Amino acid sequence: MKSLGYIITNIVETLLRVIPFPAKTGMIKIGSPDRNSPVLLTCNFHLTVERVKKQLKGMNCYLLVANSKGINVWCAATGGLLTNHDVISVLKTSGIEELVEHKKVILPQLAATGIETKVILEKTGWRIIWGPVYAKNIPEFINNNFNSTQEMRKVNFPLIQRFEMAVSWAFPISLVVAFIFFFFWKEDILLLTSLIWALSLLIFISFPLYSNLLNVKSKRVGFILFDFGRGGFQIILWAAFVTVLAAVTFFNRNFSWQVMIHWGFLSLVVILILSLDLAGSTPVYKSGLHEDRLLDVYLDLEKCKGAGFCEQVCPRNCYVVDKTPRKTRRPRGELCVQCGACIVQCPFDALYFKNPHGDVIPPDSIRKFKLNLMGKRFIKTKND
Amino acid sequence: MSTYVLMKILESAPNRYDRGINILTFGRLNKVYDRLVSHIKKDQQVLDIGCGTGELTLKAARKGAFVKGIDINPQMLEIARRKINDAYVSDNVQLIEKGVAELGDENPGQYDAVMSSLCFSELSEDELNYTLKMIWRILKHDGLLLIADETNPEIFFKKIIVGMIRIPLTILTYLLTQTTTKAITKLQERIVEAGFNIISIRRSKLDDFIEIAAKKPKGDEK
Repeated sequence: MKSLGYIITNIVETLLRVIPFPAKTGMIKIGSPDRNSPVLLTCNFHLTVERVKKQLKGMNCYLLVANSKGINVWCAATGGLLTNHDVISVLKTSGIEELVEHKKVILPQLAATGIETKVILEKTGWRIIWGPVYAKNIPEFINNNFNSTQEMRKVNFPLIQRFEMAVSWAFPISLVVAFIFFFFWKEDILLLTSLIWALSLLIFISFPLYSNLLNVKSKRVGFILFDFGRGGFQIILWAAFVTVLAAVTFFNRNFSWQVMIHWGFLSLVVILILSLDLAGSTPVYKSGLHEDRLLDVYLDLEKCKGAGFCEQVCPRNCYVVDKTPRKTRRPRGELCVQCGACIVQCPFDALYFKNPHGDVIPPDSIRKFKLNLMGKRFIKTKND
Repeated sequence: MSTYVLMKILESAPNRYDRGINILTFGRLNKVYDRLVSHIKKDQQVLDIGCGTGELTLKAARKGAFVKGIDINPQMLEIARRKINDAYVSDNVQLIEKGVAELGDENPGQYDAVMSSLCFSELSEDELNYTLKMIWRILKHDGLLLIADETNPEIFFKKIIVGMIRIPLTILTYLLTQTTTKAITKLQERIVEAGFNIISIRRSKLDDFIEIAAKKPKGDEK
């Protein structure tokens, strides 16, 4: 019965994935924990809490649910919705301090874009240990003496996740389109919704085939097609289609405005799906709609002391720390998704963003204003 | 006063916040704040929890009190800082990025008054309990707790009316910002439970907004 509920939760919240689902914040006891049991922390996106709970089954530990406004860990932490304050709050107000002897809390690694270990330690005395990216690796992580392997630190985009993503795009789009078409062209609804689902699934499932096009910086061909708002390629494509349609019908002497509007709208929907923010909805590329994508991470070797925090939190395994001399390298820098975790965590401020104009964005600006200001942060840097 | 849901839209764009909130409340919030600070006297030590863009902080500072404004939103605090500077009261005001969970590092018996507007309703159950406990600790004896916030009406038909105004606003806000405000239930009872004596209460006609002034009683340690 319980697992049926879990399945239904997964289906409903995947269909409506674009909407936040807040879960209750606070402390959850898993099994029968004692004063030495591990303490884990996650966001309050309901699906995440359910999935983490499932992975923790059979263990004895405490799970703290911090207020991320119903949004997943990575988005919330990077966008300034899961902050130091939310972590401090659940540590201080959930009563966990009275229940355990130690002051060590395991946070999902992806929270490193917004949560600062230093601040949490200073204000609460709690030490953050970065856990694995995926909940399924938590048991192994704990058995492994709280150590993440390189594989556990990496964000992937496997078939199942691509399928989920396709569904969470297709469902709301087909709802909205069906609603509009209900009033005008009822007979097209079935065709159009099937088209939306087929296109979405095709785009996401075949993703590895053309992901290279999104990857290479110099020729981001993929962005032209799958990224609305860049270049207007889609509008040109659509205009060409409508013009051809008008010409053909005109020469066949069956031109009518009604047909034009009908097919014009239908093709617009298709074009819009093709230009959905594909890159942004994958965990391995930055959205084409954000200017953060244009930022580059720089490593200041003068300041670097090879502490390796960047290596610990990078979800793309960009970094390698050398022992002699103790310095960091970024041999896989081209994989970077500009999440900013390394910049936020570096204790020596040796990492920073540079925008295409060459302006340096100081690490403290990222820590304070995160990546959610739609350009405001740039103004801020100039004032500084 | 259900338009407070729209506050969230404004909060996501702090620059528009003040102008927007004035339109939404028809200047009512202004009067609410005037009533709250009427309890505050010159040279008193005051804490403003969730000070936002600093409206309430500013009013208290203008009365000559020394005000510490805390908020977790650094963008709102930037605006507050600008306003405080423009009003030449920066000597009386201290603005700090700090949440209620960090009230533990305030000294006990430090404040003559703690005020908070539209902040308690944002807190979780755990946070609210913790906050009330902390406020009790940091207030002087006879110190005041001054609160203005959204409430859930207790009478059924008022619930319906408020719901009818609130639901469309909630949906709109949710679509635009994917957040919502929460109204608080049984605030008065919770304050009494935390050991305070209520001195005055003022409710809106629809019972969806409340202003409370309460006192930490003299002498009896909890």
